[in-house]
Amino acid sequence: MLTNTKCECGHQNPVGTVLCEACGLPVQQEVAESDGLLEMRYEGAARRSQKSNPKLLDRIWNFFSSVKVAVYLIIITLLLSILGTLLPQVNVVPSYDPASYYAEEYGKLGELYYSLGLADTFGSWWYKGLVLMIAASLIICSLDRIIPLYKALKKQQPVKHETFLKRQKVLYIGEVADAESWLKEAEEAIRERRYQVTREGTSLLGEKNRFSRWGPYINHVGLIILLAALLTRGLPGWYMEQGFSVNEGQTVSIPGTNYYLKNLKFTEVKEVGPHVSGQELQFAFETDAILYRCVADCNNPFAEPQLEEVLQHKIRPNEPLKYDGYSIYQIDYAFSPQATIMTLNVLRDGQPIGELVLNLTDPAPAYQLGDVSVELTGYYPELTSVDGVPATKSRLPNNPAFILDMTLADGTTEQYFVVPFQQYQTRISGAEDSEPLTFEIGGMEASFYSSYLMVKVERALPYVLAGALIFLFGVVIGLYWQHRRIWVRIDGSRLIVAAHTNKNWYGLRDELAKILDKTGIEIDAKSLDNSGVGKS
Amino acid sequence: MARNKWVQLTILAVIIAAGAFTIGANLSKTPAPKVGETAPNFSLYGLDGAAYELNDFIGHPVVLNFWGSFCEPCVREMPLLQKKYEKYRDQGLVVLGVNLDESTVTINNFIRGMNITFPILLDKNVVRKQYGVYNYPTTFFIDEKGVIRQEIVGEMNEGSLPSHDIEKAIKRLLSG
Amino acid sequence: MNVEQSAALLDLSSTFLMVAFILYNLSFIVFGISVLGKRWSNRDADSHMRRWGGIGLWIAILGLISHASFTGLRWAASGHIPVSNLYEFLTFFGMMVTLAFIVIYAIYRKPLIGLFAMPLSVVIVAYGAVFPSAVTPLIPQLQSIWLYIHVTLAALGEAFLAVGFAAGFMYLLRTVNFKDRSASGKRQIRGVEYTLIALITLIAFIVLVFSFNGAGYRAEFVQTLIEEDELGQKVEVEQTVTYIIPPIVKPHNSVQVEMQPFLGMKEPLFEAPAWMKGVNAGRKLNTIIWSLAVGLILYGLIRLIIRRPLGAVVSPIMNGIDEQDLDEISYRAIAIGYPIFTLGALIFASIWAHQAWGRFWAWDPKETWALITWLFYTAYLHLRLSRGWQGTKSAWMSVIGFLIIMFTLIGVNLVIAGLHSYAGV
Repeated sequence: MLTNTKCECGHQNPVGTVLCEACGLPVQQEVAESDGLLEMRYEGAARRSQKSNPKLLDRIWNFFSSVKVAVYLIIITLLLSILGTLLPQVNVVPSYDPASYYAEEYGKLGELYYSLGLADTFGSWWYKGLVLMIAASLIICSLDRIIPLYKALKKQQPVKHETFLKRQKVLYIGEVADAESWLKEAEEAIRERRYQVTREGTSLLGEKNRFSRWGPYINHVGLIILLAALLTRGLPGWYMEQGFSVNEGQTVSIPGTNYYLKNLKFTEVKEVGPHVSGQELQFAFETDAILYRCVADCNNPFAEPQLEEVLQHKIRPNEPLKYDGYSIYQIDYAFSPQATIMTLNVLRDGQPIGELVLNLTDPAPAYQLGDVSVELTGYYPELTSVDGVPATKSRLPNNPAFILDMTLADGTTEQYFVVPFQQYQTRISGAEDSEPLTFEIGGMEASFYSSYLMVKVERALPYVLAGALIFLFGVVIGLYWQHRRIWVRIDGSRLIVAAHTNKNWYGLRDELAKILDKTGIEIDAKSLDNSGVGKS
Repeated sequence: MARNKWVQLTILAVIIAAGAFTIGANLSKTPAPKVGETAPNFSLYGLDGAAYELNDFIGHPVVLNFWGSFCEPCVREMPLLQKKYEKYRDQGLVVLGVNLDESTVTINNFIRGMNITFPILLDKNVVRKQYGVYNYPTTFFIDEKGVIRQEIVGEMNEGSLPSHDIEKAIKRLLSG
Repeated sequence: MNVEQSAALLDLSSTFLMVAFILYNLSFIVFGISVLGKRWSNRDADSHMRRWGGIGLWIAILGLISHASFTGLRWAASGHIPVSNLYEFLTFFGMMVTLAFIVIYAIYRKPLIGLFAMPLSVVIVAYGAVFPSAVTPLIPQLQSIWLYIHVTLAALGEAFLAVGFAAGFMYLLRTVNFKDRSASGKRQIRGVEYTLIALITLIAFIVLVFSFNGAGYRAEFVQTLIEEDELGQKVEVEQTVTYIIPPIVKPHNSVQVEMQPFLGMKEPLFEAPAWMKGVNAGRKLNTIIWSLAVGLILYGLIRLIIRRPLGAVVSPIMNGIDEQDLDEISYRAIAIGYPIFTLGALIFASIWAHQAWGRFWAWDPKETWALITWLFYTAYLHLRLSRGWQGTKSAWMSVIGFLIIMFTLIGVNLVIAGLHSYAGV
């Protein structure tokens, strides 16, 4: 359909224009023929999406450029989010087999919940897809509006058509005796309220806080930055999260990094707070840790890694260790006393010949005691017996047992089986005629706590935060300030004053009443309300 | 108008790329490999001091067994694995035993006692997590192309329980 | 500070809260006189309203000061800002509602808002007082300055949104035609009634807990729970559950230890179903049944007496009020609350979560509900600013928005457990 978009003032408007870009007279037929208030959104300018003959590309564009679609997307996201909070999500479910967990814990409903994919709502492709569609809508809606709006606001003319003025929401019509002197007074009064005033003949335009119109677009840009920043999590090296545990005294390789961490000591602080109940309060926990950089032989079970100390830090909740883009958080801990190093005194005929220092997590295979060489050929951290054969019940040194091959100075060999906690030892092989060696616990080192830590890389965070703050800035200038305009037109002695704001009409009416008061027109702010126009 | 069209096209392309990226990232970060997927590559030191990489065995069918001497069913199925290894090694079958974070002393002692000759790899919970193994033993059967053809969780046997039949699983693997 | 001193401080702080509560009630009454009284006096209605409105405002300000003293003293006594359990948070939220009201009043000077905003803070403070008031220790993750900023700003933002609800609901009372017999008219009347029933139920619940508490009612059960220990083994754990209102529903899998008979009821009528998980699910279910029953009975009685929809009786108070002002006030309150809420409940919450847990966003239910609230008000603003949803539609949205906020603040804690969950009645 072809429409004539040329206004009677002579201005040629683009297709889709509602109000003439120059004088404000309605050019769209339906608007021109009705007599209600004018819709002032986007200044009645043509949006890019309003083309006369849409192709596929335009159709997609039009779909995303609609605020209605945006609101639907928001509401759908909202409803799905609600569904996603009904049952715990898979990431917090304490089971490696979520399918059966949901069926077991929540019955048929749980089964359905899991099979619908709601158990992982926020990690699902459809939720992410929805967020992506919101992002598309943010970008396209903004672009579709901001350019024509910018142009329209830039080329405003003070002289507006009478129809345009009369169909504004705030309106005053009266008489003035002397147009020129009244205009002077009015200009003064409007300027006093920090409006910028342009005058053309007997018409005036006062405008302030135009920047507030950019608020929505700024906040959309903020959100787009935020969402784009979240996308970077998929880039290699931008996002990493790994949990690990480290016992007291232990040094472990931090997963996913080239660093090692030693837990010097774990402390749990409990204070009896200054409280009526005498309750234990303000308790805290921390890992006194040393961070090492591994220079060589990293993660090689046959060589000690070569470590360089980087720094020491007490890791507490709210006080992570931060270094080189990595953050290490204190997540949790467990009280699990455990032997870590055991020293065995080796005696011959009651005389000590040396001590064996055994690392119970990963004991070394060979030792030298004076002229006796010792080879550790068997180690059972938690001794048990399976069909009469020694075996280990677990990897925890709860009841360590050792098989020790001794080569004495004279070249004879003996083999011992030693279970220190049970004070049991037996000579498996060796010269029958000599006294066996004896093994006694000489000392022990223990770890009392396991500290659970998490190492994290989150390089997107500053951008996420920047996006959020830009969003907030946009919202604040868009909501707390209002773009206000006052048009004055005097034809002979007839005065028309109309005003428009994007929000807070109450404030605008009040302001206009005060301005008019200054020029000698006393009027109740309420009566400036022109909302009744066109309604019968 | 032509310029506008390019702007529109660019923006839509960016959005579609972002979508492909998100959904791609979403699909690729599956926590544990499943049957039919490519077995994730890893490199580990063997008990013999050599470095092993899974991808070195592409072209060979691989039986990847996660075990520990503390795990009774793992211990019970060890002789069976050794037997199959001896039987099929000439046909190119590779058996890899990934040990679950035990000390070398413990492993050596165990291997000696059991006369195990296939390579034992030392893992500090890295490959275990990569493969999503939480129950022991777990065995993956990986074909010549590096695709996981079967996963058996629990002790394997010879024919008494079809779902846990190692012979059948290896035959399937060898027949391609 | 020793235990005696902090006990004395806590006592003193409670007195201040009591004073604040009384002042809020008084302010409500004065605003009532200001609005309703203009009809019975033969004086100039405007000056009457202005004078009594001014008095009401000053009483509210005094109440706020007293309430702030409560917060300050309790802070001093406990060593942390009192927003860490439901008792502390809700009383704090009540204070924020008063503050938001005073700000809105300063802009619009409409005593009528006080007639609805003040009872809102009264009900919220009273509701908070239902929960155990004992000072609870802060877990280390909560010991952060970001927590203080996060909670206070979130509460302030939500308070403005709540005032937006008060004005929006007033708009509905003013504009809904209670004689309308059309389908949409009936739907609106019903909507207003449901909102009023919800408010009555809440009040019924508060009165219920206080009266049984005052009477010293008690019942006790030992419940056997099956839990998984660290090794994944199932273990039976016994737990004592104490009821302070008569048990209609007893906890699942429990044995009665003690129960004071109530109206001849010597044992509970039902047992809570097994699928209800969470801490004290049975007791919460019992509380919900009681509140609904008492709320509905109370509402039924009122209906019997007045023989009309409750809304129809309340709405004449609104006569002569400009509904456009109400619409504008509701919108402005929401427009002020929205950025504050975003900053407090989403941005600062994320910063704190990042610092404490290493995850700025973890889809914890409370967090997700904050996002749901945000999405809802985002939709509200779009519909209003871009699609011209003003008046009735916008007012209904402010009512639904408030429901979402209340669910986020309380429902999530009581129904869905998460990182933020507090113990409760």
